[in-house]
Amino acid sequence: MSDSSSTTPTAPVARTSRPMSEALLNEKWDRCLSSMLIRSGLGLSFGIVFSVLLFKRRAWPAYVGLGFGAGRAWEECDSSFKHAAAPSKDGLRVLRP
Amino acid sequence: MLRASLLRARPIAPAAHLQWRVAHRFFADTKKPDETLLPGSQSAKTNVDIPPPPPLTTPTNPSAANTSTIPAGDVPRTPPTPEEVRSAPAVSPATTPPTGTGSSSVAPPPQPPKPKKRRFRRFLIQLLILSALGYAGGVYYSLVSDNFHDFFTEYVPFGEDAVGYFEEREFRKRFPGQAGSPHLHPQIKGEPKVTIPSKHGLSWRVAEDGEEGKGSDLASKGRHSSAVEEAKPAASQGKREAPSTKDKPTESATHDLLPKGAVKAEPKKEEPKKAEAAPAPTAPLVDNLEIPSAKEPVVQDVVKILNDIIMVINADAAASKYSSVIAKARSDLGKVISDITTLKEAEQKAAEEKIRAAHAEFDAAAKELINRVDRQMQEQEAHWKEEYESEREKLAQTYKQKLQSELEVAQKVHEQRLKNELLEQSIALQRHFASTIRDRVETERDGRLSKLTELSDSIHELEKLTGEWNAVVDANLKTQHLVVAVEAVKATLEKADVPKPFVTELAALKEIANDDPVVAAAIASINPVAYQRGIPTASQLIDRFRRVAAEVRKAALLPEDAGVASHLASLAMSKFLFKKSGLAVGSDVEAVLARTEALLEEGDLDGAAREMNGLEGWAKVLSRDWLGEVRRVLEVRQALDVIATEARLQTLLVD
Repeated sequence: MSDSSSTTPTAPVARTSRPMSEALLNEKWDRCLSSMLIRSGLGLSFGIVFSVLLFKRRAWPAYVGLGFGAGRAWEECDSSFKHAAAPSKDGLRVLRP
Repeated sequence: MLRASLLRARPIAPAAHLQWRVAHRFFADTKKPDETLLPGSQSAKTNVDIPPPPPLTTPTNPSAANTSTIPAGDVPRTPPTPEEVRSAPAVSPATTPPTGTGSSSVAPPPQPPKPKKRRFRRFLIQLLILSALGYAGGVYYSLVSDNFHDFFTEYVPFGEDAVGYFEEREFRKRFPGQAGSPHLHPQIKGEPKVTIPSKHGLSWRVAEDGEEGKGSDLASKGRHSSAVEEAKPAASQGKREAPSTKDKPTESATHDLLPKGAVKAEPKKEEPKKAEAAPAPTAPLVDNLEIPSAKEPVVQDVVKILNDIIMVINADAAASKYSSVIAKARSDLGKVISDITTLKEAEQKAAEEKIRAAHAEFDAAAKELINRVDRQMQEQEAHWKEEYESEREKLAQTYKQKLQSELEVAQKVHEQRLKNELLEQSIALQRHFASTIRDRVETERDGRLSKLTELSDSIHELEKLTGEWNAVVDANLKTQHLVVAVEAVKATLEKADVPKPFVTELAALKEIANDDPVVAAAIASINPVAYQRGIPTASQLIDRFRRVAAEVRKAALLPEDAGVASHLASLAMSKFLFKKSGLAVGSDVEAVLARTEALLEEGDLDGAAREMNGLEGWAKVLSRDWLGEVRRVLEVRQALDVIATEARLQTLLVD
């Protein structure tokens, strides 16, 4: 123990399973941004494909797809933020009248 | 194909058709039914195995195909032409075999009988060869192995002869000198055997009348009975002479006494008498009654004999020759009679004397016997008397002895009883003595024992006092140890720059506390994570607080159930907030953070934790981990304080 402490004088080893509480919000932001990028990209690509295949290469299907993807990502992010604030109800039994 | 064409080309006659089929059924048999040949498919093979073309001759000559199997006699006959068949009567000529239109005229299948016969013959030959081989092998093996020899000669017919022949040959080869005489027992050759007659051995017959079996009769005299043949006749002669010489010595004195002597003497006299009777042809017969002592039977007999002789002589022609002899005999007769009388008298006298002597002897013996009996009786009487006396004395003595012994026993019993009484008395006395002594000793002992008990009580008290003091000392020591252990834990916690586990120190503390409930409860109150991972130091806590505070400030303006937009807004707006410092007043996030920082700088961890606990929403969520750490540190400190106070309390409690 003593030697390990001497070799690593830094703070306790970060737990991989659960992030530290102060980093919760940052992590959520990271995830939101990444999902936003991916979903909007996916929507855009689908729109482009549709526009090529069905809509004679019009521009609007591409924009619509982008909007769908971005909107979906936004919604997910919003829900994740909202739910995280409330205390988690894991392991609690809810009594309904 | 060829055959089909041939068939088509053939004249149509039912009988011939049948014959044809019979003759060629091999080809039909060899064809497999499931073999389908396309035309031209087998053309490649044609040069390899072309089936021999069926004879293109007329069906009357099928023998070209199978001359080897069908003999000439079995060749089917030429079928009659349809005209012939139609014209021919139903009855065929007697000389020719029936060759009618029906199937009955079909020649018998030529093949089956042949192979059968041959097979049977072959089988017979094989069997013969096999049996001969087996027999030869058996003979050979019987020459080799004794066991098998026994079996073979006993059970296999003629096996004995065969084996015997070979053995003989071998024997001759080995001993050429004895070639003539077989070494086997002559019985095999049938030579005259030794036969024992049915009536051999002992029988009622004398040995002499077994003359017919003289050749082999063992009972007859021969070489087998005695080797000395020449000496025999001489010995027998000697034997024959011996009895004649013996006649005289055997005559004893007793013989002379008997009248036999006289009788014997007479034959000697008769011889001259016979001579005498001859001259007197009519010699007078001797009168039986005239002769003195005619009553004597012996004399009568002699006279009778003499008379017979005289009569014979008288009858004879030459009676005159013997007359003188007879006369002499007659005169001699008188002499003989006188001799007999004298002899008789002498005998009578001797007998009388003997009788007298015997009488006297008997008398003497009788007297002696009587005397002896008397004496014996007297002796016996005396003996009995003596015995009676002795017996009486014995009885008297035994009675006396009995009486004496009984008397003694009675005395002994009496004495024993007396002794017993004495013993009882002594025992009673001893008991009494012992009881008195015991009483005395008891009284004495009671006096001393009371003093001893007092002493032991005082010793017990002393021991108790020392034990108490020991307990006090032990308790002191224990509390001292406890304090030291608590100090050690505190020191390790304060010294550490980095969070270090202090499980060993806590374990030592618990050990020293020796199941003190207060200490145990205090240790149990500590979160196990704290002593397993260690607790952060104050500087680490402050450092982490600064990071947490930055994050919390970002989320300071968030409303409840904030979405992405409000989060973004909060992030943007929190940059423009004015920072407070010191013990700010208010319950907003910024004021709480400022107060907490101030408290932490003062070292008041408890207050800082309370302040941070007052936050709500995202701010509280973000600061949760930091709060847990602070709480753990506080718990450990509290537990150590409790233990230290407990130790102090115990030191106070000892007195």
